[in-house]
Amino acid sequence: MSTRSVILDEIVRIAEQQKKKLAPLTDDLPLLGSGLDSLCIAVLVATLDDTLGIDPFDRDGDVPFPVTIGDFISLYENAPA
Amino acid sequence: MLNALVTGGTRGLGLGIAKALASSGFQVIAIARNEGDAMAAAREQVARDGRGALHFRTFDLADIDRIGDLVKTLRRDFGGFYGLVNNAAIGTSGILTTMPDSAIERAVRLNVVSPLTLTKYVVRSMMTGQGGRIVNLSSVVSSTGYSGLSVYSATKASLTGFTRSLAREVGPLGITVNAVAPGFINTEMTRDLNSNQLVQIARRSALQRLPEVVDIANAVDFLFSEQARNITGTVMTVDAGNTA
Repeated sequence: MSTRSVILDEIVRIAEQQKKKLAPLTDDLPLLGSGLDSLCIAVLVATLDDTLGIDPFDRDGDVPFPVTIGDFISLYENAPA
Repeated sequence: MLNALVTGGTRGLGLGIAKALASSGFQVIAIARNEGDAMAAAREQVARDGRGALHFRTFDLADIDRIGDLVKTLRRDFGGFYGLVNNAAIGTSGILTTMPDSAIERAVRLNVVSPLTLTKYVVRSMMTGQGGRIVNLSSVVSSTGYSGLSVYSATKASLTGFTRSLAREVGPLGITVNAVAPGFINTEMTRDLNSNQLVQIARRSALQRLPEVVDIANAVDFLFSEQARNITGTVMTVDAGNTA
């Protein structure tokens, strides 16, 4: 499964779990306009750390927080292995 | 068994907490710089009792840059965490105006930056699990003050603010965050207080005595229990009525 698919699946799963209504997910949709709140996004980051072994926001991850869904996915797709 | 991480869990208060949680059925992982005889004996005792588990891992919590890697390693070895007790601290004492700058910085790093950073990484496994429990060890001096403990008091007061805000932040995920504020107890940390001072503190307490390690451990154990599921964002004082 591609990184993109894993992330999109997790977004849907977390939204269901946290009872949030999701907007149609497109790359240019603002992350905080997707229906996920900041806590959901924190859960998403924690889950992706487990499933993908990638954490762009660890101590070395001095990166600006991604604005859109596409930015968020790119951060994981372009993370060093 | 649910996993619980206890910092500074090899002696004094931390060891008492680690033993209490193990006897309540948790798999406790105590981290500290050295194991020591008391911890080794406690591990043997817990193994003999056959209830809960007690493990030790060496780590210097002042090594903040490695805390993220530590948590990854512990999760790989033991699985995700249900509980965290931020107990490790340095009891820096002395008059502020003559205290070395380095001592102030060291206390803030170990007593504040380290537990905040550790919590950041540990709480993630609670977020993806089934809730969790965080207990931060504060101190009565964070609210009452005590001459010679200004730096220590400042670090402990910061943990109560941290406790309340984090409780709100992670509450929707079923994670509780509380602080326990012990009064003065007889441990290695209070060795700078002479016996007269301890007698005076006991005399001024409602119950005319000092609390013991087991009293604080019981409070933490309760906050970890199902009975405490609706308690979050609080500071539980255990001081034999010293601040009553």
